[in-house]
Amino acid sequence: MSSCFLDEETFCQCCQLFLQHSHSLCDGWSWEQVKGSEEGYLRKTALGTGRTRCNQDQQGTSSDQHQERTFSLSFHNDDDDEDDGAVCCIQEENSSSSVVQYEYHILYSCSYQTPVLYFRASTLEGRSLCLEEVWDSVHPNYRQRLQHRPWDTITQQEHPLLGQSFFVLHPCRTEEFMKPVLKAALEEHRQVNYIVTWLSVVGPVVGLDVPLSYCTQVPEPPHTPSSSPQPPSSSPQPPSSSPQPPSSSPQPPSSSPQPPSSSPQPPSSSPQPPSSSPQPPALGTKPG
Amino acid sequence: MADDKDVLRDVWFGRIPTCFTLYQDEITEREAEPFYLLLPRVSYLTLVTDKVKKHFLKVMKAEDVEEMWFDFEGTPLKWHYPIGLLFDLHASNTALPWSITVHFKNFPERDLLHCPSNSVIEAHFMSSIKEADALKHKSQVINDMQKKDHKQLWMGLQNDKFDQFWAMNRKLMEYPTEEGGFRYIPFRIYLTMSDRPFIQKLFRPISPDGYTHTLGDLLKEVYPVAISNDDESKRYQVVIHGIEPLLETPLQWLSEHLSHPDNFLHISVIPAPSD
Repeated sequence: MSSCFLDEETFCQCCQLFLQHSHSLCDGWSWEQVKGSEEGYLRKTALGTGRTRCNQDQQGTSSDQHQERTFSLSFHNDDDDEDDGAVCCIQEENSSSSVVQYEYHILYSCSYQTPVLYFRASTLEGRSLCLEEVWDSVHPNYRQRLQHRPWDTITQQEHPLLGQSFFVLHPCRTEEFMKPVLKAALEEHRQVNYIVTWLSVVGPVVGLDVPLSYCTQVPEPPHTPSSSPQPPSSSPQPPSSSPQPPSSSPQPPSSSPQPPSSSPQPPSSSPQPPSSSPQPPALGTKPG
Repeated sequence: MADDKDVLRDVWFGRIPTCFTLYQDEITEREAEPFYLLLPRVSYLTLVTDKVKKHFLKVMKAEDVEEMWFDFEGTPLKWHYPIGLLFDLHASNTALPWSITVHFKNFPERDLLHCPSNSVIEAHFMSSIKEADALKHKSQVINDMQKKDHKQLWMGLQNDKFDQFWAMNRKLMEYPTEEGGFRYIPFRIYLTMSDRPFIQKLFRPISPDGYTHTLGDLLKEVYPVAISNDDESKRYQVVIHGIEPLLETPLQWLSEHLSHPDNFLHISVIPAPSD
């Protein structure tokens, strides 16, 4: 793929390849199809740790005033251009480390032509975590990144397919970190699965681990005639009638990670969601 | 015949007469009277209901008050949808005033987003504008604006200042003449009879061979259910800002004139009233 943008069809193909590897690792991802449509998303639930309020009788509500203070950190209101003045409040006196149930969804955004990570979190008793608790649960290594770049931040949004409240990592900066990776991969004739690369950047911020074998075992989708011309060495895999199972033990990473010949064939028999509408040509051709 | 600019004003100044009644199970010190308010179609519930909150807090103890939220006939109302959209979607064919129930307890965590302050509304509003411009102009126009310009858009909405808002917003409505329109039209089609809240897809206002797409073309492509065949009686109404535009209306024109301040065309598809 020579562009940092992803069209919906390629998104689905990348997801299917991603999914095959997940099955081989029992990594827990599934594909959820939207009823009556070809659209869908990747889904996974996992237990993790988080910082939650203790002694809460009701669902995640702190006083309005309390939350108001915290929300000033996400979007700068002062006129100072240099410093966003973001402060992350760590409520240590009232919160503790506990086991949290996470649910992650990977959706496609047609507006930004990138994947988007949606997630929600709840305690084992079923209480939804509030935004503040989610912020507190972000590993300190990543907190600074979220503080100083407002458009990378976590906000609460409506899930566009389910209509329920989720937290989201804002997608509009995806291009910035994907572009150099994809460019380098193209120059070095390496295969890159967009979803794998993207998730390995955004996932860890919200507690989602991506095992290393994804990077070596998951190829990119075959190149269709409508996408941009690829360098000759990364020729598409020969189509097969059924998907090959991937090798059971992960290959050790090599210096130039070409997928081994026994790696999963493009899943020609698994449901490829064709675009239902005559959409404009794959945007891989546009300049980055 | 209305001038195009008049349409912009009519859209901006649209109002819905609303009656707010406190939920019967809320704990009050004395009986709460209903509160009447004219709500701006293009604004957001949590931005314009401070008076409602103040009114009901007069009869309640502070400890019985958590985040305020609203429902209509049992359906929690999403504050992040424009008020006019909520009305068209849930209450268009009911009698005025619009009867909304006010709650201060048992916030429906799964269904509603929290709104602890106006900065959350601002963030949501600006995020929509950014997304719309990503579709219209590959984000070039919004990114070329300064922070104070973004602020002007928000303040215009917050303070109901049409001229202040449109002084900036007109830039987001421009396009290169040779293109004939925006790159893609920012729209969402809201459905009542579906789990899915809305449909949003990429759709060009002008086809590669120069054909101007209409509202009907959009629906046929993206939600054909909405358009009935000639031999069937009309099953659905397609509503924008409380009216049913002709399906022949050019989509580019709709986007420039009937978008909400967030630059999206919010289109409701609702069951046609049966007489």
